Amino acid sequence: MNRPFRAGAARRGISLIPNHVILMLLVLFAMGPVVVLLFNSFKTQAEIGRNPLGIPTDIVFSNFPEAWDVGNFSTTLRNSGELVVVTVIGVLVLGGMAAYSLAKMNLPGANILTLYLLVGSALPIQLFLVPLFFLWQRLGLVNNILGLSLIYIAINSPLAVFLLRSYMVQLPSDFEDAARVDGAGEWRIFVQIVVPLAWPGFLTVGLVVALSVWNEFLLATVFLTDQDKFTVVTSYFNFTTRFSRDWGLTSAGAIMMILPIVILFLALQRRFIEGLTSGGLKG
Amino acid sequence: MNLAFVARSRLIVSLMLVAVVLSGIGGFATVRPATAQGGPELTMWLDVTGGSTVADCIVNDVISAYNAQGGPQVNATLQPNGWTATQTALAGGAGPDIVITPGPSFANELARAGQIIPLDAIAQQYDWPATFAPWSLELGRSGEQLFSIPNEVETLVLYYNKTLFETNGWTPPTTIDEMMALSQTVSDAGVIPFAHANAEWRPANEWFIGEFLNHIAGPEVIYQALTGAIPWTDPQIAAALEPLTQLQTNGWFMGGLDRYYTTTMADASSAFAYGEAAMKIEGTWFQADADTYFDEAGQEWDWVPMPSADGSEIYSLGIGSTYSINANSQYQAETAEFFNFYFSPATQATLVATCGLAPAPVTIPAENLAGLDERMARIIDRLATAAAANNYGYTTWTFFPPRTEVYLYEEIEKVWAGDITMDEYLAGAQAIFAEEFAAGGNPPVPARS
Amino acid sequence: MTSHADAAGARVPTSRYLVATPRLRFWQRVTWRRRVVPWLFVLPILLINVAVVFGPAVASVYYSMTEWSGIGEAKWIGLDNFRRLFTDDSFYRAFRNNLIWLAMFLTIPVAMGLVAASLLMPVRRGAMLYRLSLFLPYVFPSVIVASIWRSLLNPDRGIGATLSDWGIGGLDRAFLGDTDTVLPTIAFVDNWHFWGFLMLLFLASMQNIPADLYEAARLDGANRWQEFRDITIPGIRPTLVFMILMTSIWSFLTFDYIWVLTQGGPAGASEVLSVLVFKAAFTQLEAGYASAMGLTMSLLAGLIIGIFIVLRKRGWEI
Repeated sequence: MNRPFRAGAARRGISLIPNHVILMLLVLFAMGPVVVLLFNSFKTQAEIGRNPLGIPTDIVFSNFPEAWDVGNFSTTLRNSGELVVVTVIGVLVLGGMAAYSLAKMNLPGANILTLYLLVGSALPIQLFLVPLFFLWQRLGLVNNILGLSLIYIAINSPLAVFLLRSYMVQLPSDFEDAARVDGAGEWRIFVQIVVPLAWPGFLTVGLVVALSVWNEFLLATVFLTDQDKFTVVTSYFNFTTRFSRDWGLTSAGAIMMILPIVILFLALQRRFIEGLTSGGLKG
Repeated sequence: MNLAFVARSRLIVSLMLVAVVLSGIGGFATVRPATAQGGPELTMWLDVTGGSTVADCIVNDVISAYNAQGGPQVNATLQPNGWTATQTALAGGAGPDIVITPGPSFANELARAGQIIPLDAIAQQYDWPATFAPWSLELGRSGEQLFSIPNEVETLVLYYNKTLFETNGWTPPTTIDEMMALSQTVSDAGVIPFAHANAEWRPANEWFIGEFLNHIAGPEVIYQALTGAIPWTDPQIAAALEPLTQLQTNGWFMGGLDRYYTTTMADASSAFAYGEAAMKIEGTWFQADADTYFDEAGQEWDWVPMPSADGSEIYSLGIGSTYSINANSQYQAETAEFFNFYFSPATQATLVATCGLAPAPVTIPAENLAGLDERMARIIDRLATAAAANNYGYTTWTFFPPRTEVYLYEEIEKVWAGDITMDEYLAGAQAIFAEEFAAGGNPPVPARS
Repeated sequence: MTSHADAAGARVPTSRYLVATPRLRFWQRVTWRRRVVPWLFVLPILLINVAVVFGPAVASVYYSMTEWSGIGEAKWIGLDNFRRLFTDDSFYRAFRNNLIWLAMFLTIPVAMGLVAASLLMPVRRGAMLYRLSLFLPYVFPSVIVASIWRSLLNPDRGIGATLSDWGIGGLDRAFLGDTDTVLPTIAFVDNWHFWGFLMLLFLASMQNIPADLYEAARLDGANRWQEFRDITIPGIRPTLVFMILMTSIWSFLTFDYIWVLTQGGPAGASEVLSVLVFKAAFTQLEAGYASAMGLTMSLLAGLIIGIFIVLRKRGWEI
C-alpha cells in the first residue's frame, strides 16, 4: 500500500483515453452554463439582449468594479469569511472527535446517537426559526457572528460527523493497534494517527461545510439583521433585486461571490492531490 | 509512521484550537454596537423582496432628511427576507421599532398577539383622522382599536401600448365584452393580446382573479361574499371567472399557458413595450417599469380603467404594506413622532414624486404632485375619488383571509389546466373561507356606505 | 479492543494521554476507557446540536398539536392537524412528488458521481482541472443557478432555440411551464448543480483504497468493470451508503430549486412537502399545521434512517 493506484495504472500502460473522452463530455455539461455566465459578466446590458448565450463581441470590464461597490463586498466578504472560518474549524475539530468515537472507539449507544443526529437533520429548518431565535435572543447571540456559527456547526454536524466517520472506518487499523499496544491514549491516537490518515476526508468535509455556510440564506437573513453584519449572500440578494434587469452586472457579482470558494477549493485540493502523488496513504 | 507529517498535523490541530478560542472571543467582542451617540435610534426594516430601488430612495431621500433634523435617528436597513425576519424576531421578543407587515391580515395577527401597540391615542394626538382617508383607519383596526397604518395604496388598471393601438386603429375597451372581442382582433393581427406571466411571482394570478371578480360580479357581490352574506359558490362569482379561463385557454396571456408560467417579468414587459403584446392588466407599481421599457423601445403607453361588465369605472383597492409600533420598542413616542413625519402629505408627495412609491392613504395637495407623470397623477386622483365615495373593489391580498387567498391563486391553475371544474374550485374556496371566517382570521372590511 | 486496553493499563503511565483520567482501579480504568471516553469525544458537538436542534424540535412537536398562526398564542387541538394531513390531497400529491424526486436523485447523480470519480482516479494529467470544473456548479448559490438555467431553458432564446436553428428540433419548449415536464426539469437543474458534490466525496473515499488491491486484480486479469464492481464499490461502501442515506433525507427536504423556479406550480405539478411547509408557515399563517407536516416529513426520513441502522446491526460495515 505504498504506491497509489494511478502509478500502477500508468506503469501497466492501461489506456486512459476513454477516461478523458467521457470526462471531457461531463466537463462540457458542467461548465457550459458557467461559461455563459462568465461571458455575460463581460457584456453590456444591451448586448445580453441581442446575444444572450454567445461570446461577448465588445468586452467591458466595468461590471466588476461596479458590482464590487454596490454589493458592498468589502464588508460582506469579511463577515462571510469569519462565519466560514469559525464554523469549519468548529465542525472539523468537534465533528472529527465525534467521528473518531463512532468509527474507532466502539461508542456504546452509537445507534441512538446516529438516529438522533440524522432525524434532527431531517427536520425542515423553517420550523426551528421561532424557538431558536427566542433562545438565541436571550443568550445575546443574535446579530453575532459566533452565535450564527454555533447554529451552522450544529446543522452541519450530522453530515460532517458521519462523512468523516465513513472515511475513518475505511482506514486500516494497524497503526492504531500498534499505538494502543504502546499505551497511547485515545486523544493521541486521534490527533497523531487518525487525523493525518483521514486528512483528505477532513479537507473535503471542510470544503463542503465552508460552501454551505457561504451560500446559506434563510438563517443569515434572520439572525444577522444589522447592516454591518450582512453576509455576501444577503447583500447579493439585495443587489439582484435592485439590478434584476442588468444580467451583466449580476453575473459579475455572482462570479466575484464564488471566487473565494474557488480559491479555497484549489488550495485544499492541491494539497489533496500532492499528498497522493507523493505516495498515497502515508505509512 | 512519517514523523514529520505527524508533527505537522499536530501543529495544525493546535492552531485550529487556538483559532476556535480566538474567534470565540472575537465573536463575543463584536456584540451589537451601542446606539448612536446618546440619542434614541429607531430601527426600520425595509423588505426588498420585490425590488430595492424604491427602498434605496426611501432611505436616501426621506429618512436621511428626517435624520438631518437632529432628533431621534432612524436606522433603516434593506432586508432581503424582511417579513420572515420580522415575524421571527417579534416572536422572540425583539425586532425593529417600526414594524412593517405585508398586509392587514398579518398586522391583525400581530395585534391579536400583543406584539404591536394600539395607535388610537397617537392618532388623536397628531389628528390623523384629518389627513388619513376614513377607510384606511378602519382597515388598520383589530377589534375596537387601531393598530396599523395602511401604506402604499395600490390599484390595478388596463395598460395598453398606445403606439400599437394607434397604428392598428384599435380603441381601448371599456366593457369586458369589448375586451374579449378586441383580444380576438389583436390575436388575429398576430399580436399577443396580454403581456402576462407569473414565472417569478406565482401570486400574480391573484391580480387577475381580483380584477375579474370585482369588475364582472361587482364590488357589492364581493363585499357580500367577504362578509359571509353569500357563499363563494354563488353563480355570479363563477360567471365572473369564466372569461379569465377563456383568455388563458385561448393562449391570449403571453401566447399560451406554458409561456405564461415561464416568461420572466422583464421579457413580458419588453414584449409589451416593443408592441409584440398589446395590453397588460397590472398594478400601479408597474409604472416605473413601464417608463423604463417604453423609453427603451421608443413607444408610448397609456391606461384605461379595467373594463367592467357594464362599462362603469371601478378601482380595486390594495395595500402594499402596513406600519405599526413594536410593543417591545423603548422608543414608542419617538416612533409615533416619526410616523407623523413619514405620513405627512409633504413627505408622501416626495415619496410618490421622487421614489415612485405608491402613496399612503392621505390627502396630498395637487400642487405637491407637480412634476409627477400625468398618467400616474390621473390614477392616484381617480382612485382617491372612488375610495372616498366608498365605491371601490377588493384586492385579494388586502381583504381576503390568507389561506383563502393562497387557495384562490394556486388552485386556479388547476382550473386552467382542466384538472378541476370551476364549481369544484369555488366549493374548495368556500370551505376554506368558512373556516377562516369562523376563526376570525379575516382582515377587517370597512362597511360600504 | 480489550487486549489493547489491558496492555495500556498494565504497562504505561496512561494518565498523561487520557483526558483527565483519575487514579482508578484496573476494572474502573477499563470501563472509563471503553464507556466514558468515547462519549467525551462526542459530547461537545452533541451539546451544540442539542442546544440548536433538540429544543426547537421538541417545540415543534408541541406546536404540531396546536392551532397556531406562527405569531400569537397557540391553541391545543390534539391530533387534529395530523387528521387533516391524512385527508389533504395536496399533501399526498407533494409526497408523491417527493418520492419521484427521491427515485431520480438516488439513481442519476449517484451513478454520475461514481462513474466520474472512478474515471478520474487514475488520471494525473489535468486532474486538478477536471476536479475543479466538475465541482464548480456546486459552488454557485441556487438563486444564480436558477437564473442561468431559466435563460438557458428559454424556448425563444435558450439552448433549445439555438439547437433548432441548427436543425435539431423539439427542445425549444417551455419545459418549466408544462405540468408533465416541470418536475424532471427542476430535478435536472438541481442535479446539474449537485452531482459534482457526490463525485468529490466519492473521490476522497476512493483515495483510501489500497493500491495493491487493484494491482492484484490486474494480475488476475480483471477488466475495468470487474475492478469497479469488486474493488472500488466495496472499498468506498461506507461513504457510498452514507451518501445514499443523506441523499434520501435531502430528497424529503428539497426546497431551494423548486421554490426559486416554480414555487410548486404550474397547477401544483412541482409541489413538494417542504414548499407546503414554508407556505403554510409564512404566507398562510398556519405554523401549527406546518409543524405537523414538517414532523411527518422527518418521521418519513426517520423510517429510512431506521432501515439503515437495522442493516448496520446486521453486520453491514457501513
